[in-house]
Amino acid sequence: MKTEIVHKIMILGLQISLYTLIPLLAVATENSACLECHGDAAAVGESLVIEALSFDNTAHGELGCHICHASISDGHPDDGLTPSRTSCVECHDPISQEYAASLHAGKASCSDCHTPHRALGPTAVSGHDMNRQCLTCHDHADMLDKHGEWLPQADLHVSMLPCITCHSSSDQYVISLYIIKRHGNMLSGGYELASFDELSVQSNGRPIEQLVDRNADGYVSLAELRMFNLDPENKQLRLQGMITPEGVSHNFRTQDDRWDCSFCHASGPAARQVSFLSLAEPDGSYKRVPVEKGAVLDALYGTPDFYMVGSTRSTALNYVGLVILAGGLVMPIGHGTLRILTRKNRTKEEE
Amino acid sequence: MSKIKIYLQPTPIRIWHWLNAFGIITLCITGVQIRFPDHLHLFASYKSAILLHNVAGLVVAFSFSLWFIYYAVVSRTLLKTYMPSRDDLEHGLARQAKFYLLTYFLGWKNPHHATPDNKFNPMQKSAYLAIMFILVPLVSLSGLLLTNVSPMRDLVLMIGGLKILVAIHFLLACCLCAFLFTHVYLATLGKTPLEHIKPMWTGWEEEDSTEQPHHVTGSSRLPSVAAMPRTGMTTRRRP
Repeated sequence: MKTEIVHKIMILGLQISLYTLIPLLAVATENSACLECHGDAAAVGESLVIEALSFDNTAHGELGCHICHASISDGHPDDGLTPSRTSCVECHDPISQEYAASLHAGKASCSDCHTPHRALGPTAVSGHDMNRQCLTCHDHADMLDKHGEWLPQADLHVSMLPCITCHSSSDQYVISLYIIKRHGNMLSGGYELASFDELSVQSNGRPIEQLVDRNADGYVSLAELRMFNLDPENKQLRLQGMITPEGVSHNFRTQDDRWDCSFCHASGPAARQVSFLSLAEPDGSYKRVPVEKGAVLDALYGTPDFYMVGSTRSTALNYVGLVILAGGLVMPIGHGTLRILTRKNRTKEEE
Repeated sequence: MSKIKIYLQPTPIRIWHWLNAFGIITLCITGVQIRFPDHLHLFASYKSAILLHNVAGLVVAFSFSLWFIYYAVVSRTLLKTYMPSRDDLEHGLARQAKFYLLTYFLGWKNPHHATPDNKFNPMQKSAYLAIMFILVPLVSLSGLLLTNVSPMRDLVLMIGGLKILVAIHFLLACCLCAFLFTHVYLATLGKTPLEHIKPMWTGWEEEDSTEQPHHVTGSSRLPSVAAMPRTGMTTRRRP
């Protein structure tokens, strides 16, 4: 009896696996058939080439080429027909409607910002790459001037935040830590986002996340962050923190609660507990490794370059400050009490 | 007993002192809101607290320049006024500490008598030396860096990073605030609580003529106190 049940469970498991795997295998086979030509610029030309590595890892890649190019026949390209292209709205209707009501509508189409063959979610794109997208239309100097009209240290905000942190809405915001590398000398500075290849060299063949996650447990502890920052081997590397959204709305307007700085700076340390180490992948996307809760609040070496005034203050430093202030009150309170108690001595003197 | 007046605090020094005082108090209050915005809402918005903090910081830096230029260039008494002498270090500090911690309560007189040429007692000299030559410049410079993080990024990194800079600024500011408590309290230790505070507002200090019989009323260029008899000032009045 028991053997029968085990057999039935095994058969059921096999069926489920096949139902799941077969479509995936079919998609992979279909994609590779297309990419045989479209992965080679010499075969199809620069305008039609698709980077296989980056396309395969996207949600679109998982769906397969036929989902968007339904009219392609087995005779392609010899049939002479131009393959159909689906519209983004077919699948992304709510986003399309939201976008249509925004200021951007009519000024930029979906494909002006998104490459369908490289469509990544917000957590798989670096804050720097997000801004690069905006800067294709918005002039950097103009943006600095406009923000400088009302925003203190506008240059700092513009360079250290993805635009969409303030200009779109999300249910949740986290701190993303990126590894940046010095490309100049001590005086000329020149830190830039470290590429996968640069980090691979630095990690000497180990997986690059082990530059920080030393015990390779898929989790970055505060101790590991400190070790990374204090290791002389990493003197050319630093961690740059950015507040990044977990999702992105497509209304692209300045959110009301971002005008008075309160959204980021007055939220207190409780709102700045979640952070991730964000690392470059070979295909240009980013993968995340969770970081110990509250690690960015460490006083000195956790994230020495990431400090958001008002919300990443260190509790340890607060206590040290309190002790110093209490020291300043010793004279007024201690001496003052004795002064009152001994006032008669001085009154007699004046008489 | 007749009173005489001595001109103890020249106008530039008084301007500096009160600019400094209001500036530092503003910095302390706005600083608290900037660090603890989720607990304290003294000013309308976070931005206004930051702007006020930055302006007050500039005012203090400006008043510091005024102080430095006056003492170093105009009166040329910077080191004389603030640098403790050998005697101050060997005997004066202990003598003054003994007064504050013991003999004051017994009703003895302050062993130091302020004159235009010798304004500060040895403890004041040592404290002001640390405050004006180390603490205020460092807290101002760290503040200047914090208001210009992007343009001075390399300098910030050389210091060790933004957090170390913030820690330096915060802890130095706490020291300055702690000093402020002590400073204001000690300023009330005259015969009346306002006796030492008034000259910093008017410039003139009133004192009993028996204490300094050689002082000339109304003169801003008084003879050096070193030439004056100082016996009575360090002796007990009530044996």
